[in-house]
Amino acid sequence: MNDEHVYTISELNRSARETLEEAFTEIWVKGEVSEMKRAASGHLYFTLKDETSEINAVRFRGRTSAFTPLAIEPGMSVLAFGKLTVYEPRGRYQFIASLLQPLGEGALQAAIERLKARLKAEGLFDPIHKKPIPRFPSRVGVVTSPNGAAFRDVRSVLERRWPIAELLLFPTTVQGASAPEDLVAALDCARRFSEHVAALDVLIVGRGGGSAEDLAAFSDERVARAVFDSPIPVVSAVGHEIDFAICDFVADLRAPTPASAAELVAPDRAEIAEALRSFASRMTRGTVDRLRRRSDRLRTFLLPSRYRAPRRRLETFDQRLDGLVERLGRSTAGLLTRRSERFARLDDVLRLSDPRLPLRRGYSMTFREGSTLPLRDTEGIAEGTEIETHLGCGRLRSRVEEVMDA
Amino acid sequence: MTIEEALTKLEEITQKLEAEELGLDEAIGLFDEGLALAATVKGRLEEAKLKVEQVLEKTKDTFSLEPLDLP
Repeated sequence: MNDEHVYTISELNRSARETLEEAFTEIWVKGEVSEMKRAASGHLYFTLKDETSEINAVRFRGRTSAFTPLAIEPGMSVLAFGKLTVYEPRGRYQFIASLLQPLGEGALQAAIERLKARLKAEGLFDPIHKKPIPRFPSRVGVVTSPNGAAFRDVRSVLERRWPIAELLLFPTTVQGASAPEDLVAALDCARRFSEHVAALDVLIVGRGGGSAEDLAAFSDERVARAVFDSPIPVVSAVGHEIDFAICDFVADLRAPTPASAAELVAPDRAEIAEALRSFASRMTRGTVDRLRRRSDRLRTFLLPSRYRAPRRRLETFDQRLDGLVERLGRSTAGLLTRRSERFARLDDVLRLSDPRLPLRRGYSMTFREGSTLPLRDTEGIAEGTEIETHLGCGRLRSRVEEVMDA
Repeated sequence: MTIEEALTKLEEITQKLEAEELGLDEAIGLFDEGLALAATVKGRLEEAKLKVEQVLEKTKDTFSLEPLDLP
């Protein structure tokens, strides 16, 4: 008896803890949650039980080993992963859960629905919070797995439609135990990168298709809140068309797939080419019309006595102008049907309709020294006035020898 | 100039050429400017090559960009 060791309470509890922790590290436990309490610290205290027994359990907030903090509620069957330990000050043994997930058919879906209802009631889905997505993004961030189909799809769409942009990947895992925390960290990284390095115009958050369990991280409350809090507009793109995640409801825009997210955020350069063509033909038309009006004025003003060129020449000029306008119209129609040659033809149209073409045909414009308006009459012109004549090619500077009024 | 700015500028020039009473010189100047701008934008759209990078955080708020070439 004398030889036997007498434990102090502290020693006993510590020894019990060490024994238990060694024997029950990394174990899976299933049971029903009862008597759940969320402490102010964010730790979650609950009891796990089956028909005949129960055990105290705790899930600490912010552990690096992950869990699925979907709406776990009393009465729910759960699968927990963790270790057994002793809380020494009280001599109580308890299970420390690092992973906690709903168990059973439909349980995950039910948990997601409950979380969705809660966040909705909180106002997180309200349209008033939705930020507009810029039309011409110059920097697009993607929060997804570097190896998945999602990033590959986004990349190939942007390569085709909008290679003007810079595409930045913020790598994260998208499934498995650590996915929610990784996603939150990647979102945070994108936010700080945008603040400190280069502003991101839009962020695509998502992944390719998978099972409901695979997509679960995108219905995690922390991920949902991080998406909601993002100062960068977020487009969510989780799984396929039919998949919905809570992320979709808090994001500024939901895309059915990652590829369509890329299509939603980036304009198509072919459409912009179309807009350029339209501008060019409108500019051309405007300039040609102006030229036509001017030539009409020229005719009424100069004819019959002041201008030596025969009427026939002016008529020819008019016909050419008409031909030019017609040709412009035809080319424009051609441009619409022959997409591949669009740009080449565009250049032709622009060259053909240059308002200086008449100059090349032998007409000229004369300016008074220092004036930008072409001369229309002899007003203010006297012997010795310096004038400049613009020809189809080159300019002449001259001094007036004689002014002959009409 | 961003593409967006260029498109806005083109719209402006186009509207002036369509509507406003301009001196011939000014009209030609605008036409030239518009033409050059359209050509520049066209060129940029045609020649652009998507820049793809992976962002890694080395230490807090210090980031490194690694080019992601196609596999």
